[in-house]
Amino acid sequence: MLDGVSEARGEAALSSSDTARTNPARNHIPGEIGIWLFVAGDLLVFAVFFIVIALGHVQQPEVFAQGRALLNMWVGVLNTLLLLTGSWFVAIGVDKCRTTSKPVGSHYFALAILCGVAFAANKTFEWGGKISAGFTPATNDFYMYFFIFTGIHLLHVIVGIGVLLLVRSVSRRPALARRDIATMESGATFWHLVDLLWIVLFALFYLL
Amino acid sequence: MRAIDNDPMFRKSMVFCGWTGFACIFFFIIGGVMLGGMLPPLFNSAEPAAEFARKVTEHAFSLRLGSAFMVLSFAMFGTLGAGIAAQTRRTEVNPVFSIMQGVFAAAAMTIGVLVAFAWGLAAFRPELYHPSIIVTWIDFAYFMALFSVPLFGGWCVVIALPIFWSEEGREPFPRWVAYANLWAALLYAPGMLIIFFKDGPFSWHGIVALWIPYIAYFGWIAVMSYALLAAVKETGDEPVMTAAAA
Repeated sequence: MLDGVSEARGEAALSSSDTARTNPARNHIPGEIGIWLFVAGDLLVFAVFFIVIALGHVQQPEVFAQGRALLNMWVGVLNTLLLLTGSWFVAIGVDKCRTTSKPVGSHYFALAILCGVAFAANKTFEWGGKISAGFTPATNDFYMYFFIFTGIHLLHVIVGIGVLLLVRSVSRRPALARRDIATMESGATFWHLVDLLWIVLFALFYLL
Repeated sequence: MRAIDNDPMFRKSMVFCGWTGFACIFFFIIGGVMLGGMLPPLFNSAEPAAEFARKVTEHAFSLRLGSAFMVLSFAMFGTLGAGIAAQTRRTEVNPVFSIMQGVFAAAAMTIGVLVAFAWGLAAFRPELYHPSIIVTWIDFAYFMALFSVPLFGGWCVVIALPIFWSEEGREPFPRWVAYANLWAALLYAPGMLIIFFKDGPFSWHGIVALWIPYIAYFGWIAVMSYALLAAVKETGDEPVMTAAAA
């Protein structure tokens, strides 16, 4: 029975992502059109956030330089590595679901979820450390932007973890329909968006 | 999908609901943008109460007229919401999500008209009010509009979920509409920051807590109005079923 299920799953997955499998570079847009609408919209809004932060840099260079000097860059580096690793696991997971008949993709999605949880834990420790040291959103504009914008991003990470849980659940189905593959690709696209947004935030708060 | 062959009013009703969404945007542009000073904000959350009183006195007639247009605009949350719920209802056997949508729409309409009431009351007799009372009315209006994220965001979520959970080809609206709803819900979230800030981008006059949620909300109304009108443009009396069969 297991072999039968695996075959059905494999055939459905392979046929549903035929274009992607045979020629990934041609005519295959991962996920659904809706997720790309979401990505474009979110990038637009975060572009506004990035401009607000950049204006803060320009208007209060000393405040921002002092604030940045008191952040631990390696905490930011660790979080960046966690998200990049998570994105790598997600990409492998989607690929496994497309190309293999066994539900091994779910293991990679689980690893990506762990990366997301570790990111949230690390961010919470970082915030806790800052607040115990007396730095809060009321301290100055740098910390106000730092807490609020990384908080809005953390909200995305939490939503992303929920999305990956859903993707993992879909990836464990005995037979994958075309819509299941599209759901996984859409979820993966959202996770990559979360990753991309963090990279820009990391640069703006920890490096510039 | 529920059969509506014997319901000749369906198309007219849905067209009415869809156009009330566009009318809602139109009247808000007149009442909230051109006359009322709600967006762009006439007031600054950080300025002294005396400045609020001066502005209200100076623009009293414009604010009163603007609040009248805003009541008209915000009352249409109910008709648009009823159309959305009716379309969702057609895909349900047991109408859980459509009832939830109806509840959210009714609450949103109530909160909306109270926003306009508060705006109008601030300009009702400013010569008698202590300036701090005027500040309270303006604060109250923005808090009801921006701080009620779970209400307006929750409405979007209960519209998105039945779209995602429907069988393929039987969705009440196209799946991109569900993504647009989730995106809108996420954009409303910064509105809750207004309780912590009286100045800057996160206060009720700021770009993050005011402009983004407001543009997202009225953009969402445009999307849902378009989606309703598109649903009834399909051939036959059962637009989604016809599309699926084709």
